Amino acid sequence: MRSGRLWPVHVVLAVGAAAMVLPFVWEVLTALKTFTESTRVPPVWVPSFAWSNFAEVWNSTPFVRQFANTVVMTVVRTLAQLLFCSLAAYAFARLRFPGRNAVFVVLLSVLMVPDQLFLIPQYQIVQGLGLLNTLPALFLPGMFSAFGTFMLRQFFLGLPDEIEEAARLDGANPLRIFWSVMLPLARPGLIAFGVLTVLWSWKDLMWPLIVNTEPEKMTLSAGLSALQGEHVTEYPVLMAGSLMATLPVIVIFVVLQRQLIAGIAFTGSK
Amino acid sequence: MTRKVWALLCAGAIVIGAASCSAADEPGSDGGKVTISYGIWDKNQKPAMEKIAQEFTKAHPDIQVKVELTPGSKEYWPKLQTAAAGGSAPDVFWMNGPRVGLWASQGALAPLSERIAADRFDTSKFPKSLNDLYTLNGKQYGIPKDYDTIGLWYNKDLFDRAGVKHPDASWTWDDMRAAAKKLTDPAKGVWGIGAPAWPQELYYNTIYQAGGYVISPDGRKSGYDDPATIAGLRLWVDILTADKSSPTIKQTQDTDPIQLFQNGKLAMFWDGSYDAIAYNGTEGLNAGVAPLPAGPKGKATIIHGLANVVYAKSKHPDQAWEFVKFLGSEAANRIQAESGAVIPAYTGLEETWVRSMPKLDLKVFVDQVPDAVPYPRSLNTAAWSAKESELLSQAFSGAKDLDATARELAAFMNDALAKEAQG
Amino acid sequence: MNRREWAWGYLMIAPLVLGLGVFFLWPVAQSVYYSFTDWTLFGGSTWAGLDNYARLLRDPEVGQALWNTFQVMVLGLLVVPLAVLVAALLNTRGLRGVPVYRTLYFLPVVTMPAAVALIWRWLYSGEYGLINYLLSLAGVSGRSWIADPHTALYAVIVVFIWTYVGYFTVIFLAGLQGIPAHLYEAASIDGAGRVRQFFSITLPLLTPTIFFTSVLMVMYGLQMFDLLYLMFGKGSPAWADNKTIVLLFYTKAFEEGAKGYGAAIAVVLMAVTLAITAVQFRLQRKWVHYA
Repeated sequence: MRSGRLWPVHVVLAVGAAAMVLPFVWEVLTALKTFTESTRVPPVWVPSFAWSNFAEVWNSTPFVRQFANTVVMTVVRTLAQLLFCSLAAYAFARLRFPGRNAVFVVLLSVLMVPDQLFLIPQYQIVQGLGLLNTLPALFLPGMFSAFGTFMLRQFFLGLPDEIEEAARLDGANPLRIFWSVMLPLARPGLIAFGVLTVLWSWKDLMWPLIVNTEPEKMTLSAGLSALQGEHVTEYPVLMAGSLMATLPVIVIFVVLQRQLIAGIAFTGSK
Repeated sequence: MTRKVWALLCAGAIVIGAASCSAADEPGSDGGKVTISYGIWDKNQKPAMEKIAQEFTKAHPDIQVKVELTPGSKEYWPKLQTAAAGGSAPDVFWMNGPRVGLWASQGALAPLSERIAADRFDTSKFPKSLNDLYTLNGKQYGIPKDYDTIGLWYNKDLFDRAGVKHPDASWTWDDMRAAAKKLTDPAKGVWGIGAPAWPQELYYNTIYQAGGYVISPDGRKSGYDDPATIAGLRLWVDILTADKSSPTIKQTQDTDPIQLFQNGKLAMFWDGSYDAIAYNGTEGLNAGVAPLPAGPKGKATIIHGLANVVYAKSKHPDQAWEFVKFLGSEAANRIQAESGAVIPAYTGLEETWVRSMPKLDLKVFVDQVPDAVPYPRSLNTAAWSAKESELLSQAFSGAKDLDATARELAAFMNDALAKEAQG
Repeated sequence: MNRREWAWGYLMIAPLVLGLGVFFLWPVAQSVYYSFTDWTLFGGSTWAGLDNYARLLRDPEVGQALWNTFQVMVLGLLVVPLAVLVAALLNTRGLRGVPVYRTLYFLPVVTMPAAVALIWRWLYSGEYGLINYLLSLAGVSGRSWIADPHTALYAVIVVFIWTYVGYFTVIFLAGLQGIPAHLYEAASIDGAGRVRQFFSITLPLLTPTIFFTSVLMVMYGLQMFDLLYLMFGKGSPAWADNKTIVLLFYTKAFEEGAKGYGAAIAVVLMAVTLAITAVQFRLQRKWVHYA
């Protein structure tokens, strides 16, 4: 296939990409406008670079603290999910024990339930532990994931049996096999899953909002929501806040996208 | 939670290295010192509230107050409800009119009437309509904190350019409609008046100005099938559909009419005293404010205000009451007045707020209090208010016939109110 | 040996089962119980038997919300063919700039719902919105997309699709890279064009991924909440007819303090989700091609 024949593909992809990106371009432009500029008709395409919008966000929210909270929440959730979900996923995929499928299906039923239903009971548990308005409150329920177990089980199902067999004949116990044989093999899958968990965790809104009320203990998404409460229709300031809250994950994706694709591909190979 | 699950949880918590697994930490009671929490939702008022809390601790050295802010009332309510369902709402918190019925009738608020009587706390310092708003079945549940009324905001420049006389206290509905028509200039994208389907700022006021009512005084019957009530609604429908002197409901839905007014797109706009700060600070906006025009039955304005309430399951009800009493004192209201964010509920302190923005004639809001009608509410306002705004916004947009819609709403509301009564 | 394997199996799933049990399954059980009670806001519940369910059957709002939810789910499934198309194009051999495209398509996925809602409300605005401005250049007069009851739900569904296309594109792209190149080479030698190759090789080999993503998308569609909650404003004429089931549950439980009734609505949603997913799993044998 010579590249000269590829221009129709580029056209279609570029149109789609434009639809994806235009809202962001508009977000960036709006974030740099003054309030009056933002409500001009027809719209202004070249903003006056009102950096004060960013300063406003910076001054009215404890941005650095909230950023740190979000990082801690995301890291703990991701590591815990990687550990707990991969352990269980391996057992569900490779070990035989009574009730295996029944337990797995029951766990999957969690996916059928809208998140809002968990708010009150989970809040009561966290409160019972005396953890309201603390960092652990942010990550505690999010350390366990039915979706993660499901996805990682797919990884393990896709791995070849032979290596495991060899280890088994050497008399290694399942935990040992899991740790020293399977995990290294599943590494691409784990990285992909980790990246996805980081993305979802970063965006989580309702739970952090309910469980922590002090601005210093909030996450960025909750802080952004609070910002909206204050600047109802001051779009430039709100857009600046959105940009500041989203940039870190965009960077993570750009840096790790190769690993993400490779990892997901790893499951699709079966 | 069964004991077993707790044991498991604790085991898990210890593994994770979480906090101690004893009973939940009681908010500090060390050596007779008590810390109570105070839930609020407005960031702009936090400094004033913290200052009040400090002053309170000066007078009561063994009671500390922790101000807990949940920014934005949209987040405040679900959060507070979740906390209250778990038995851990703040000891004292802000309450509003639409929600007080639900919270009081479901036993989340401590009734204060006996304490008011025992301590001879003087509630006559607050507008009667506000005390009434927080009194259910003869028991008072909240001490008024601040209040707001509605005024007719107008853009002086647009009036002058069109050569229309500025609104004043003598205005009636007809004067306003005629002016709105004159001021509408589609070529410039300017409308005479903004008419979003907002209850508190718009149609509740006209319903009472027309002699109608939203809910009967005994709380049992909806007023939406009363011809006078419908007349109060019709004013806005006429302005929207016949005169076309307001942006449509869809337009005001997209773009906050507050913003339209700030941008000089609306010559008039009914809005509360709480937006005075915004209009005062808008560059290039030359705003004035007048009393609401009189309807067929005369003058009326909706009054609403927040109250401070005590949580029924508070571990320190006495200290919480002490603090609420202090919040209702002249000293505390003075601190509120100086912050300029709201009109303090304490009679005689409005002046500070009025003087805080000399460009605007803010006295208008205070002077209307004698004509004020408390914000309509029932035991479970939410059970019908969502339906109310749904149906009326459809009538205002011209998608549905007003008479039929109002009757449909009345039937729905009467149903909801009957359920409350059994409740 | 076998017994030992059992023990290891239980040991390895224990932490997860414990965590999910306490934080997720137990709350679900509680909610099912509440759905048979009149549970008030702050405690106090009385046994109500099937009253909530009887009321639910008579409630026109529930029917409307179910229909809206169904529409979100079905239209949301458009994400799957769109993502397959984009992924297939991105997988064209010799195409340059793939990482750039990938990043651009993925941008919406990493953006917080609060920010997404904000940007799109701004774009959809009838007065100052970019969309209507662009339409006016083409001589079309736009409407207030989010405020108009006839278009509000669809406007939100567009955003919903926009949010997820990139996510599934990445998943499909990964699946495509797992397809061995020699299959295509053989087909080329047989004289199959690009389109034929797509239908005879790519699509059948992608079916497991398509199945997996459809199951996910059905769940996301049935549970969509954030966008609607964040995009409709106060007093919108669009509220009345455009609620979904989760939104209705939230309103009943959190706004009106009818937790028991809200729980019953949530239980119905769970049952619907379960039924649809079960049907999907039943049908997969008919069309999913496991190599």
